[in-house]
Amino acid sequence: MKYLLFIAVLAVALFANNGNQAKKNTKPTQKEVAAVNNAFYSKECGSCHFAYQAGLLPENAWRKMMNNLENHFDTDASLDKEEYMTILNYLVANSAEKNMQYKRSAKIVKSIKVGQIPESISKTPYMIEKHNDIRADLITQKEVKGIFNCMACHTTADRGIYTKRDIKIPNYGAWKE
Amino acid sequence: MKLLLIPILLSSFCFSAVIDDYLNALSVQAKQENANFTAFDAKRGEAIFTSKHIGKKGKEISCVSCHGTDFTQTHQNFFTGKTIEPLSPKANPERLSDLKTIEKWLKRNFIDVYNKEGSTQEKGDVLTYILSKD
Repeated sequence: MKYLLFIAVLAVALFANNGNQAKKNTKPTQKEVAAVNNAFYSKECGSCHFAYQAGLLPENAWRKMMNNLENHFDTDASLDKEEYMTILNYLVANSAEKNMQYKRSAKIVKSIKVGQIPESISKTPYMIEKHNDIRADLITQKEVKGIFNCMACHTTADRGIYTKRDIKIPNYGAWKE
Repeated sequence: MKLLLIPILLSSFCFSAVIDDYLNALSVQAKQENANFTAFDAKRGEAIFTSKHIGKKGKEISCVSCHGTDFTQTHQNFFTGKTIEPLSPKANPERLSDLKTIEKWLKRNFIDVYNKEGSTQEKGDVLTYILSKD
């Protein structure tokens, strides 16, 4: 009898656990994307461009990008071995699929087709779709330059917050759909 | 008062030591590479800094494109728009204060503008030019 009870309890526990797991995978509990929390990353990568949150790309995309820092979007961003490993480890440990509890990370991961490795955050299907309705000249204007320049319009992007109400497009204003 | 002055003088000496040591080392190396080398030259450095070239991205740029000509001011990265802190060590005490950082950026930026690494003499000339404006 005791044995049976044990099995029953175990089964319930397992089932409950599975349920939680499933919930976690389908419904993120956190909004947005985890903020950058690594000063070395912010300094090294943020010298030339916005220090993108690691949760904006999956691990395989970060690895692909880091494999070719000598030609990083056609500029030389090479690092020595120690610096390289520090940055790579940070990106991998905080990549999108390890941050699925965050809404944006989960959406980015789910938007990428199996077998595809995006070249950049801007090239993920989620980002392309999200920026589709914006007039091209607003993106190419000198105050913005391109989709890569998050802070030009997303005024709170440095805190990992990309909500609609925080958007302010130069020479246009708040985002109206 | 004298006791106070000593650490101040000492710290200002330490502050400039990194770049001075680096320039001395480059100078020794330049002499080894070229028997006719005498000294680094700010005028040659200025030409390196201001002349335009088709860079790594395929666009015509110079060092000025990202750093500007007033080294006491911040400037914007030509491609990304990101703010770049002043090149002048007087305006920006962190500048030229760390050997690893100096070498890293000289290498990267020569490649970005010239599509090749700078020679010993070129690196010394351009640093001498930057310091000459301080």
